[in-house]
Amino acid sequence: MPDWAAYKPDANVFDEMMDLSSQPRDGCAGVIDTMFSMPPAQFTEICARADRMFRRMGVTFNVYGAADGSERIFPFDPIPRVIDASTWATLEAGLIQRVRALNAFVADVYGEGCVLSDGVVPRDLVLGCPQFRRAAVGIKPPLGNFVTVAGIDLVRGADGRFYVLEDNVRTPSGVSYVIENRVVMTRLVPTLMRASRVRSVERYPADLLQCLMEMSPSGKSNPTIALLTPGPFNSAFFEHVFLSQQMGIELVEGVDLVCVDRKLYMKDVHGLRQIDVLYRRIDDDFLDPLVFRPDSLLGVAGLTAVLRAGNAAIANGVGTGVADDKAVYAYTPAMIRYYLAEEPILPIVETYLLRDPEVREQVLKNLERYVVKPTGASGGYGVVIGPKASEQELAETRERIINDPSAFIAQPVIALSVHPTIIHNGSESGMRLMPRHIDFRPFVLLGAKPRVLAGGLTRVALREGSLIVNSSQGGGSKDTWVLEA
Amino acid sequence: MLLRICHTTRFEYQAPAYDSHNEARMRPLEGATQRCVEFELELMPNSSTFEYDDYYGNRVYGFSIHDPHPNLIVAAKSLVERMPAAPPPAIPTPFGEYLLEDHVRNRTEYDFLNASRHVPFSEPMRKFFWLAKPDPSEDVAAYANRIVAFIRDQFVYEPGMTKVHSTADEILSVGGGVCQDFAHLTIGVLRLAGIPTRYVSGYLAPAAKSMVETVGAQASHAWLEAQLPGQGWTGFDPTNGCMVDERHIRVAIGRDYSDVPPLRGVYRSHGGKQLMSVELQIEPLPDAPRPTDPSNSSNQQNQQ
Amino acid sequence: MLRRIASHLFWTARNLERAEWRARLLDVNYHLLIESPPRDAQPWAPLLAIFGERELFAEAYTTADDASILNFFALDIDNPNSIRSCIDNARNNAISLRHYISSELWLDLNTLYLNAQEWTPELFISPGVFAFFADLKDSFYRLSGILQSTIPRDIAYDFMQLGIMLERTEDVSRMLDVKYHFLLPRLEDVGGSLDILQWAAVLRSASGLEAYRKRFGNAIKIDNVVEFLLFDSTFPRSARFSLAMLETSLNSIKREAPEPSPPSAQLEELLALMRSKRSLEVIKSGLHQFLLQIQDGCAALGDEVFQRYLRTD
Repeated sequence: MPDWAAYKPDANVFDEMMDLSSQPRDGCAGVIDTMFSMPPAQFTEICARADRMFRRMGVTFNVYGAADGSERIFPFDPIPRVIDASTWATLEAGLIQRVRALNAFVADVYGEGCVLSDGVVPRDLVLGCPQFRRAAVGIKPPLGNFVTVAGIDLVRGADGRFYVLEDNVRTPSGVSYVIENRVVMTRLVPTLMRASRVRSVERYPADLLQCLMEMSPSGKSNPTIALLTPGPFNSAFFEHVFLSQQMGIELVEGVDLVCVDRKLYMKDVHGLRQIDVLYRRIDDDFLDPLVFRPDSLLGVAGLTAVLRAGNAAIANGVGTGVADDKAVYAYTPAMIRYYLAEEPILPIVETYLLRDPEVREQVLKNLERYVVKPTGASGGYGVVIGPKASEQELAETRERIINDPSAFIAQPVIALSVHPTIIHNGSESGMRLMPRHIDFRPFVLLGAKPRVLAGGLTRVALREGSLIVNSSQGGGSKDTWVLEA
Repeated sequence: MLLRICHTTRFEYQAPAYDSHNEARMRPLEGATQRCVEFELELMPNSSTFEYDDYYGNRVYGFSIHDPHPNLIVAAKSLVERMPAAPPPAIPTPFGEYLLEDHVRNRTEYDFLNASRHVPFSEPMRKFFWLAKPDPSEDVAAYANRIVAFIRDQFVYEPGMTKVHSTADEILSVGGGVCQDFAHLTIGVLRLAGIPTRYVSGYLAPAAKSMVETVGAQASHAWLEAQLPGQGWTGFDPTNGCMVDERHIRVAIGRDYSDVPPLRGVYRSHGGKQLMSVELQIEPLPDAPRPTDPSNSSNQQNQQ
Repeated sequence: MLRRIASHLFWTARNLERAEWRARLLDVNYHLLIESPPRDAQPWAPLLAIFGERELFAEAYTTADDASILNFFALDIDNPNSIRSCIDNARNNAISLRHYISSELWLDLNTLYLNAQEWTPELFISPGVFAFFADLKDSFYRLSGILQSTIPRDIAYDFMQLGIMLERTEDVSRMLDVKYHFLLPRLEDVGGSLDILQWAAVLRSASGLEAYRKRFGNAIKIDNVVEFLLFDSTFPRSARFSLAMLETSLNSIKREAPEPSPPSAQLEELLALMRSKRSLEVIKSGLHQFLLQIQDGCAALGDEVFQRYLRTD
C-alpha cells in the first residue's frame, strides 16, 4: 500500500485528512481505514478503472484539434475529500447568505443604485468595472434574479477556517465533473461510500431545471428552456452536453436562434419555437451583436431587447460580472451587512485595493509577500504569487501596477490546505501518497429560493508546491463527500 | 426658432439583407433650450418600432426587418423648437480650488471624467494635455474656452484624414479630422483636466434662413458639453471654435461617438457590400403665432 | 429537432453513403479494367463524365492513368467528392452530433476518419488496391451496421435515412448510366462477353449479383438488370426500394409537425415517374434520358428538403 507511515502532516499547512498527531479528522477515519490499507496493485487497478470509466463517459475537457482526434481527461484522484455535517452546515448557510447578497447587489446596481448612493460600494469602482454593462440598466429579470447559478471558490487556511477566495457568477463551470466523479467513485468504493453516508449530488440537474423554470417570465406551466453553448470547440462543451441531456432541454448555438417581435425563438425543422428561459454559457460580450461585440456569431441580435421587453429570461443575467470583479470582492462583507443586516458567516481573504495610493505604496514595498491579481480576470490567469515569482516577474508586475493601479488587487499568500493525493512516480510501487494543495468550488442555485449542492468540485494542484488548481494549468479533481448528520 | 429636420439614410445591399436588427438615436432631445414638437421615424421596408431610453437618456427606436430586402431607407423627420439659452451665471473657480473636489466628481460623473473607447488617456493624449495644461490660478471656464480655441487653431478640418472608428489619437497623429475627432480630442483634454465632459451628436442648422441640404456621410454634427462651475452643462463646438448657439440641435449624448451613433445595426446577407448615403434637410420655419404662455420667457417676436 | 442538427444528421449519413458508392464504383471498375484490356484510349472517361468531374480532374492532373484516377477519386482533398473528402465531411458533421448518435457510431466514424488522414498513394501498391477497397468496404458495412442497430427510429434516424436514400437513388442511377451510356458504344458489342462482364460488374458494385440471379437466373440481360436495379421492390439498393424508404422517413417527419403540412411535390413527381414505367419501355424510349430524369428529380427533392427542413438562414 502507499506508504502510510511516510505521510506526515506539515505543521505549516492545514491537512484535510489528519491532524498533527496523525489522527484522522472528523469523518475521515473510514476513508483512511479502507483506502490506505489497499495494496498498491489494487490502487493501480482503481486508478485504471477510473480512467477507463471517464473515457467511456466522454468526460473530457476539450479538444477537437485539427488532425489530432484525441481528448484529454481531467486528472482524477480517487481519495475523496470529506466534509463532515457540522462543517457543511456552516458552509451552506454562509454560501446562501453570500449569493443572496451578491444577487441583491447586482439587481441594485442595475436598478436604483442605492448601494452606490449610500456609499457602501464606491460608485466609481462599479462604473469603472469592465463588466458593468450599461445596457443592462432597466432590465428587470423575473424574481429579481440576475444570479441563478453561482460557483463560490473557497480555500482553507492554516487555521482550518474556510475563506472565500473568489466568486464566479457569470458562467461558472465544473459541476459536471462533480457529478461524474461521484458516478465513478460509487463504482470504485461502493461499500465505503454507503458506510460513510455520503449525501447525494445527483439531484443537481433536476434542481437547476427547477430554478430555470421558476425564471420563466410568462408564468407558463411548461416553459421552454434551452442551453446556449458556444459549440464543440469550447473547453467546457462536455458540460454543456451533459447538463442539457440531464435536464432534458435543447442544446442550442447562436445560429439556431432568432429574435422576432422581441421574442426569442429557436429554428426547429417545423418552424420557430419560442424560448422562455435561456441558460447561457457564453460571455456577455458575445450575447447580442447589436449591443455588444458586433462580430459575435455566438449570440443572437436583438436578445437585449427581448430581455428588456420581459419576453424571455436568461441565466445568469446580463452584467453579473460586476459582482465577481476582484476589487468589488473587497466590499462583499459590507454588501452582506447592507442587504441582509447580518454578519458574514464566511470570511473573505484580506484584500488590498491598489487603486488607493497609500495601500499601493505599502504593497509595492513588499511585493514578494503578496499575491497580485488582475481585477477583471477569472480563474488563475494573470495571477502572480509573490513568494514564488522571479525577480523579473516581480519587476514586470510592479510596472503593470504603476501603469494601471485600479486593475489590480493584492492579497496575502494563503497557505492552502493540503490533501493526501496519489502521485504516480518512479518509486517501487509506482505511486506515493503526497500532500497537495486543494481548493473547493461549491455550487449555489438561486430560484424562487436558494439551494446549495451538497458537495462541490475539489480541485487539486498536482504539481508539488503548486497553488494553481485549474484544469488547463496542471490541476486535477477529487470527489467531495459531504456526510449526513 | 422652429426647424423642420429630415435626416434620411439609405442603404443599398449588393446581396439582399435579411434578419436586420437596428437601433436609431435620431430623436432630438428635450431640454431647457430645445423642444421636440414632432418626431417620426419612417422606414422602408415598413416595420414596427419599439422605444426605450438608453443609459444616457437618449430615446432609442429599435426595429427589425426579417425578410430579404435590397434597400433600407430610414427617414427621421422632426419638428424642433429651439429657444435661446439663459444659462445661470458662471462661478469663477480657479483650478487649485476646483480640483479639491475631484474625487467627489469622479464618483458622480465617472463616465464623463474617464477614458472611453474613442477618448483614450494615451501617451499622445497626455502629452498634448500637458502642452496647454491649466495653471492652478486659472479659471475653469476660461480654461475650457482657451482649449476649444487652441484646438481649433492647431488642427485642420479635413474629411478623409481619419475614419469613423478613429480614436482621438488619430487626429493627434495626422493633424486634422472631422467634427467627431475635434470633439473627441477636446473631450480628452478637458477630462484630463478634471472637467466632466460629454459628447453631443446632433445637427447644425444653417446660418441663413434658407434650407440646407447636405449630401454625404457627414450629416450629423458633433460637439461637446462641459460641466462648468455654476453654469452646468455648457456646450462648445470645437470644430467651429465657439460656444454652441441656437443653431445647434441636440440629438444624443454619451461618452463618445460609440454611445450615440445615429443608426447602429447588424444584418445578414450572402456576401457583398453595403452602400450608404445620407441626406439631411434642415429648414427654418417662421414661428407660428402661439397663444401666450406666461411660463415661456423666450416668447419672441417672429423671425423673418 | 433543431434545423442545424437535422442538417448535420442528413449530411453525415449522406456523405457516408456517397463515400461508399464511390468506393464500390472505383473498386469494380478498376478490377474490370484489369480483367478486360481497355480498347479506348480513355478507359476512365465514363467514370469522370458521370460525376461531372472531367474538368476538375483536368485542372490537377495531366494524364488519366490508374494512379492519377485512384488518387483523384479516393485520396484527393481538393476533390470535394473524393472518398477521403466525403469521410472528412461526414465526421465533421458528426462532431456536433455526439449527443444524438451512439458513442459506438462516433468512435467508429472517428477511427475511419483518423485512418483516412494517413492515406497515401503508396497504399495502392502495398498492401494494394484490392486490399484497400476490401478494408474500406468492411468499414462501411460496420458503420452502417452500427447506425442501423443503435439509432432509435426517431426523427434523428429519419433525417439520416433521408440523406442515405436520396444519395442511394442518385448513385444507383448514375452507376447504371456509366455502364449503359458511356461504356461499350458499339452496337455489335451488345450482348457480347465484354458487355456481360460489364453488366455483372454493375451488379457487383451494388452487391446485387446473387440477388439478381435469385430472381432472374444466371443469364445477365440488360432489361433484367435495369428492372432489378431500378424497379425491384425488395432489393435494398434498388431505386424503387430506396425511394420507398425515403417516403417512409419523410412521412414520419411530417407526422411530427404541429400543423399538417403540404405533401412533397418533388417526391410525388419522382414516385410517379417510377410508377409509370417498366424497364423494357424505359430502354426503348431512352434509358439515359430516364436516368437523367431520376437524377434531376433527386436534385430537386434535395433542394426541397433543404428549404423546408434544413436551412437555418
